[in-house]
Amino acid sequence: MSRIEDTRVSSPIPARAGVGLKPEHYSEILETRPAVGWFEVHAENYMGAGGAPHHYLTAIREHYPLSVHGVGLSIGADAALDLNHLAALKQVCDRYEPSLVSEHLAWSTHDGVYLNDLLPVPYNAETQARVCEHIDQVQETLGRPMLLENPSTYVRFEGSDMSELEFLRGIVERTGCGLLLDVNNVHVSATNHAYDAVAYIDAFPHEHVGEIHLGGHADDEGDDGEPLLIDDHGSAVADIVWGLYAHTISCCGPVPTLIEWDNDVPEWRVLMEEATQADAVLSKPVLRHVAAE
Amino acid sequence: MSRLSETQTGFAHAVRNADAAVPEGVVSHLRDKPRKRFGIYRNNVYVSLINVLEGRFPVVARLLGEEFFKATARVFVEHHPPASPVLMRYGGAFPEFLETFEPVSDLPWLPDVARLEWAWNLAYHAADRDPISPEALATIDPASADSLVFELHSAVQVVRSPYPVVTIWSENSKDREPGQIDAGAGGEDGLIVRPGIAVDVRHLPPGGAAFITALSERKTLGSAAERALAEDESFDLQANLGGLIGSGAVVALETA
Amino acid sequence: MESKTRKMTSLAVAGAFAASVAAVGATPAVAADDMVKCYGIAKKGENDCKAGPGTSCSGTSTVDYQGNAWKLVKKGTCTQVSTPAGKGSLSCLTSRPAGKTYDCG
Repeated sequence: MSRIEDTRVSSPIPARAGVGLKPEHYSEILETRPAVGWFEVHAENYMGAGGAPHHYLTAIREHYPLSVHGVGLSIGADAALDLNHLAALKQVCDRYEPSLVSEHLAWSTHDGVYLNDLLPVPYNAETQARVCEHIDQVQETLGRPMLLENPSTYVRFEGSDMSELEFLRGIVERTGCGLLLDVNNVHVSATNHAYDAVAYIDAFPHEHVGEIHLGGHADDEGDDGEPLLIDDHGSAVADIVWGLYAHTISCCGPVPTLIEWDNDVPEWRVLMEEATQADAVLSKPVLRHVAAE
Repeated sequence: MSRLSETQTGFAHAVRNADAAVPEGVVSHLRDKPRKRFGIYRNNVYVSLINVLEGRFPVVARLLGEEFFKATARVFVEHHPPASPVLMRYGGAFPEFLETFEPVSDLPWLPDVARLEWAWNLAYHAADRDPISPEALATIDPASADSLVFELHSAVQVVRSPYPVVTIWSENSKDREPGQIDAGAGGEDGLIVRPGIAVDVRHLPPGGAAFITALSERKTLGSAAERALAEDESFDLQANLGGLIGSGAVVALETA
Repeated sequence: MESKTRKMTSLAVAGAFAASVAAVGATPAVAADDMVKCYGIAKKGENDCKAGPGTSCSGTSTVDYQGNAWKLVKKGTCTQVSTPAGKGSLSCLTSRPAGKTYDCG
């Protein structure tokens, strides 16, 4: 394990499973140093001046590669980005030197009010142009490319005149950003809007995927009794999502994969089991490749 | 106004107002204006912020009971939504809100309990500083003590109350049934400190609050002691000074 | 300050300072049992990217809280805190006039 000690300086995140870091597990991680490839944190939880969050993250960062995942930048808002928030994100990145930085295709701030959710955007040229401006601004400020995550959504807009994939592809072309492919979000959105998740994955621009997310969802029903899935990160990754993930890896090759569990956070052991399962999937295409040779 | 801006203004308004109709142009593959689907966003925003407040004010929540607290927090979220996406900063207006919230007016000590919990949160995230070392203390000539000016840790806060706020808070911070507390037993002042990464709440002796407040305003030790004595004749300088330094509240001393 | 009669001489301040510095580490000014820690030092992070509890109504129902319209009863530990005499004996469980209930739908 002492090999990992050197990861602090801009080591890339390995194509292994990582786990979303929760304060509940700080001590156990430091005491047992589990064999997990990397950790991811939500940037906003480390925007305080000091205290316990920084104390623990600093200690954990000494032993593991890190990914910083922003949840509050509101990249999909028509309004200008909050420069203070962007500066705070830069500060987190400067301090912890993460290997990956990502944000969501969503908006959450409007008229000076923070609506604590990842709200959907209409897919059209106007939104696309605005999102591109914001991503350019983020990448210039951070001095590095970012990854943009595909959303899970519950409604659509009449004002959308392109598909989510067309929308994302255009953004990647114009900004040079990478993509964070949340496979659970693909399954949730595909179910909610009645399209084919496998076809979506097949058509996804694989070469730009820098990270994958896997999380749990909850079952519900829509206004007309139709199946509706909620992206609640409150349970184990569903079997159907594991299947979609294996398909994704067979298309993309191995990509760093995060286990996300934010609601009813279980004991560390459970997260480790999920990570082990993802690692098993990640090692398969390599084996297949070797066998083919 | 751009089309996107218009869409988001309508969406935000409908998310924040439970009685608002689903905005124009929001659809599912099966219908226009799907009320239940849109309600997911509204629900997410409110419930997540209520949960943030419950985590921030656990003693207020325990005092009121979960159902009452959540209903109270919901009203607060509606009238005082967060301005920053950094949620560790959310809730500073909650104590004052409780002052004016009629359904809790029979619990006059509740806003001060909330103030203590907010102070705890500020201390938790305050900048790191090491308390002054015994070596640095030893270099100071006691003869100059009168004119010393104190630099306190940024976590240091004093919460003063005409109610036994520290006792109410501490009894309800433990994993057991709180003992009976007489709210009329007299006021208490609390000191919030964070010498390392763990927040401590201490019950201040008479005059202590005035003493620390004066020091935090960069008054000299001599005049802070005078102010504390003026407020309470039983103020014990040695005990207060020792307690303050011992709590890790002091990070540096300089001569005025 | 200097023009007024001081209750505490600079000599007394010096003495108190010397004594308290000597005592630091030995005796805290407040008894140890006065010192309480609230909850764990690893407090939950507040920002995340999860959705809430689905379409449940808990976040969407409203209640008229003006005046005495809240029927909601406090069920917390505040029953343990008795209010000062003279204000009447309003305990936390005092029933409130019936009004609009805080429930779903």
